[in-house]
Amino acid sequence: MHPEKTKHAFEPKIIAFVCTWCTYAGADLAGTSRMQYPANVRVLKFPCTGRIDPVFILKAFQQGADGVLVSGCHPGDCHYIAGNFHARRRFAAFRKLLEFVGVDLGRLQFSWVSAAEGGKWVEMVTGLTERVRLMGPMQEFKELALEEQWSGAINTPELQEAYNSI
Amino acid sequence: MHDNPIDTSIYAAVTEAIQGEARRILSEGHVAAVVGYAAARRKGSAQPVVVTRADDAGKLIFSAACVNNLAVYLTKARKEIPKSGKIGIVVKGCDLKALVGLMGESQLKREELYLIGVPCAGVLASTIQPDTALTAGTIAPKCRECDAHLPTGCDFVPARQPVTPELEKHYSAEIARLEAMTPAERWAYWKGQFKKCIKCYACRQVCPFCFCEQCLCDRNKPQMVETTPRPAGNFAWHIVRAMHLAGRCAGCAECERVCPMDIPLNLLNRKMAKELKELYDYEAGFEVREKGPLATYDEKDDQSFIK
Repeated sequence: MHPEKTKHAFEPKIIAFVCTWCTYAGADLAGTSRMQYPANVRVLKFPCTGRIDPVFILKAFQQGADGVLVSGCHPGDCHYIAGNFHARRRFAAFRKLLEFVGVDLGRLQFSWVSAAEGGKWVEMVTGLTERVRLMGPMQEFKELALEEQWSGAINTPELQEAYNSI
Repeated sequence: MHDNPIDTSIYAAVTEAIQGEARRILSEGHVAAVVGYAAARRKGSAQPVVVTRADDAGKLIFSAACVNNLAVYLTKARKEIPKSGKIGIVVKGCDLKALVGLMGESQLKREELYLIGVPCAGVLASTIQPDTALTAGTIAPKCRECDAHLPTGCDFVPARQPVTPELEKHYSAEIARLEAMTPAERWAYWKGQFKKCIKCYACRQVCPFCFCEQCLCDRNKPQMVETTPRPAGNFAWHIVRAMHLAGRCAGCAECERVCPMDIPLNLLNRKMAKELKELYDYEAGFEVREKGPLATYDEKDDQSFIK
């Protein structure tokens, strides 16, 4: 029954921050309807998109995510009345900040997926996975994490001399 | 061009007016203390001072070396100021914006403060040489694009009009320069800047808006931001800092001034201010608003970035 799987050189790691009332139920619907979508996505369930702190996205990238998806209820459908409205403003600001420090916004996707939109969830996940696959691994944050440093980089002749003599 | 002097002749009259007003409110018992600037040991330098006796009002000054944003003493160091009675405070326009922001966040009450506004033509970028004359070259970058030379809504403002020549804008030019770069170039630029960070947290300490009892960045369960001065933790700290100040920062640029590693911190804050102005038409000003742009919402907000 399963369609033939294509082998890829690079399997991106996608982290999805979803709200429990809409998108999680939507993803559940996609599952119970036996729709196929890439297994690259790791779903993290939150009470509401309003609970998703921008620092979570940062942390995801630092811990090795190649793409991040944030998804919740459509405006007006929030279980907590206005959580997604607040989140919308916060993420509008946050993505501008990430863009300014040089993160490619192609790796960050925001969407509204309701509990009835299993198809849209599949579309979102597939779209982001394929896009990130083309972009390749997210190197920037991984390199940062691997980089040890001494804040006073050796940039004076005296220090360089002392360093060489060790 | 850079040596063009900036007229600070009003500062002598302003100093006198501040002293007179401080003496009056202290002797008449309107306030318990006045937070202001006093001359420090080195010639031309200034330091923050808390004056509690009318006799000491003569200590107060205002000069181009009065760079500090005194609003910080009313939030974090509040315990060091007598709790009883009103507090008088000397504020420049930029400092007043911070105070207004704090009032909006219910950290301060207007009726507990006696505001002595300062007509300000600008202050020095650096006080390493406090006796330097204020010129187009030595003026602080924030003063180059200041729109608050004359504070409004204060209890007392000396009736002087500062002369404010049109100067080349620093932050706007820098933001435009960075925005024109590719993401990879911007990343390299900020990586180079954040690499210098030694995590001394001077920027947090001096910021009037960083008043959380426990900072998210100090927590270790869960640890959201690595605390060691390594590139990963530095990057996260500066992004979190900029994000937490988005829509709140009043642009006093104290973070940038105190940074021992000369990281252009205010550049991030100004960028966020610019974006929030474009998105939600919000700007830090002299009017107390109950909620900042990120604490409120509109059902018709732009969502073109959300699929």
